[in-house]
Amino acid sequence: MNNRMNILYVITAVFLLVLPFIYESRTLLILLTQVFIFAIFAMSYDILLGYTGIVSFGHAMFFGIGAYTIGVFMKRFDPTIPYFLLAVLVTIVLSAVVSFALGLLTLRLKSHFYAMLTLAFSGLFLVLAEKWRTVTYGNDGFTFRIPDLFKDRTDFYLICLVTMIVVFAILRRFTSSPLGRVLQAIRENEQRTESLGYSILHYKVVASVISGVMAGIAGILYSMSLRFVNTSVFTMDITLDALLMTIIGGVGTLVGAIIGAGLIEFAHHWLTELAKVHWIFERWIIFFGIIYILAVMFFPMGIVGTLKKLKLNRSKKEEQKAEEKIAS
Amino acid sequence: MDVLINLSLNGLATGMLIFLLAAGLTLIFGLMDVLNFAHGGLFAWGAYSGTWIYATTGSFLIAIAGAILTGLILGLLTERWIIKPVYGNHVQQILITLGLMLVLSELLKVVWGPNQISASPPSYLAGSWELGNVIIIKYRVFIIAVGILVFGIVQYILKNTKIGLIVRAGVMDKEMVQALGINIQKVFMLVFMIGAGMAALGGAMLGPYSGVIYAEMGLEFAILAFIVVVIGGMGSFPGSILAAILVGVSGSFMAYYVPSLSLAVNMLLMAVVLIFRPQGLFGLKG
Repeated sequence: MNNRMNILYVITAVFLLVLPFIYESRTLLILLTQVFIFAIFAMSYDILLGYTGIVSFGHAMFFGIGAYTIGVFMKRFDPTIPYFLLAVLVTIVLSAVVSFALGLLTLRLKSHFYAMLTLAFSGLFLVLAEKWRTVTYGNDGFTFRIPDLFKDRTDFYLICLVTMIVVFAILRRFTSSPLGRVLQAIRENEQRTESLGYSILHYKVVASVISGVMAGIAGILYSMSLRFVNTSVFTMDITLDALLMTIIGGVGTLVGAIIGAGLIEFAHHWLTELAKVHWIFERWIIFFGIIYILAVMFFPMGIVGTLKKLKLNRSKKEEQKAEEKIAS
Repeated sequence: MDVLINLSLNGLATGMLIFLLAAGLTLIFGLMDVLNFAHGGLFAWGAYSGTWIYATTGSFLIAIAGAILTGLILGLLTERWIIKPVYGNHVQQILITLGLMLVLSELLKVVWGPNQISASPPSYLAGSWELGNVIIIKYRVFIIAVGILVFGIVQYILKNTKIGLIVRAGVMDKEMVQALGINIQKVFMLVFMIGAGMAALGGAMLGPYSGVIYAEMGLEFAILAFIVVVIGGMGSFPGSILAAILVGVSGSFMAYYVPSLSLAVNMLLMAVVLIFRPQGLFGLKG
């Protein structure tokens, strides 16, 4: 079964890789690029929520760190590849340091404390971005130039797609490693994992650092796609996007995060289009909110999770049937 | 000296507003073990409905009463439809109340439009007293008085009435209270409604204090309230008023003496408390 899934992934990846060459639609290309960027972000969030069982409301923090780092570097220095790489390095270091410090300080606390504190800290970053005008130009944000390599929409699409595939591969490797297994054990039963001799804090901090770094990378790509950055990258909305994507796609599955990102981005696009038909669609967040509440209530495993469960049930039934046959 | 008095009064007034919000959070958490992330949404609804009723009826008292009623009704609906299905599951509670927060603040924009709305106090609360060089703004005194009053009432109910006894017992041991033949579901509902009503009252009083109200203020104040709850200790009612005053006053002093640090002061306060007393100043649970 796993092999069949792998073949499916490869086919999808190849299809997406050749898509810009067979179907030329600028809108679709840009939309899909956004999907890839947010898929990276949602996958990074899923490491926390889905694999470790930590609810963070401050994930926009790392997204924003990436977005601003690349913006500041491209604005202050020349938009060349070496500076771009330097910005990537700085983003990785910054988000790792912030997530490490924050994790050490707050991950000892229970889930609801942690959720509140991350909310508070990301609020602090938002305020910082608004007030530190010499660097961030305040609320208005600033535009910047990007290296020539990323200028072409098709090239940028491919870069984002490849980055997403690489992140997917890395995170999949990570979650199936012994370390990833410990994380899942923490999600399932924290006390038991602790009594087995694992230091919970240590593993949670590792998860938060990895997740933070990946979110930073998503932030880089995001502000590169806009060639503009402002304080909105630090807002709660960004974290909520990641939350929605993971929940709707399926908690605890990386593919779910990608599917969720696709669904949300496309739904967002269509609903904004519908705003021309009726003004209520301008307030599309309401529909999202309601769908999200219903999803948490009735559909807690998301699309991928529910599919998996159905499959599991079916194979169980088949097993039962087979057993019955043997018995008769 | 004059500056000190002004700053203290200012800080106290802000502290009392935060207290009204944090007290509801801490009551709900203490008894029901539910962390209500939609609390800021109830606060914002109180602000909007209060301002709207004041603008239509012209009576500030009716506006306050109307805002509280809005809070009570929203609290009832929230407890019934949103919280009830997810009792006992922390992660789901956090996620679902956050979704509600989203819906509540967007609904505000649907009903009253996306722009800021200005609000002003009634004529008898506008203006200020001058005592020598000290200028005392009447509305701030009013906020402080209401805050102390609410604290007194809730504290009295908790300590001296039967329902307070049930609530306190419920905080200690839910199952035991249930076993004694008390319908804990009803108590839950009542506590949630009271918490929501207090949040709405805080919102209604904020409008004339800050001059403008907007849909995003729910989340901003909710963050402050969370910080207060963490500093004071989850579930501790006296802790939340002490921490609210601490946050309010230190914020007001910092804004005057060290403006660049003023925005971070709450975080610093919270970080210090967390490092030395992770359960909060008055908290029992870790």
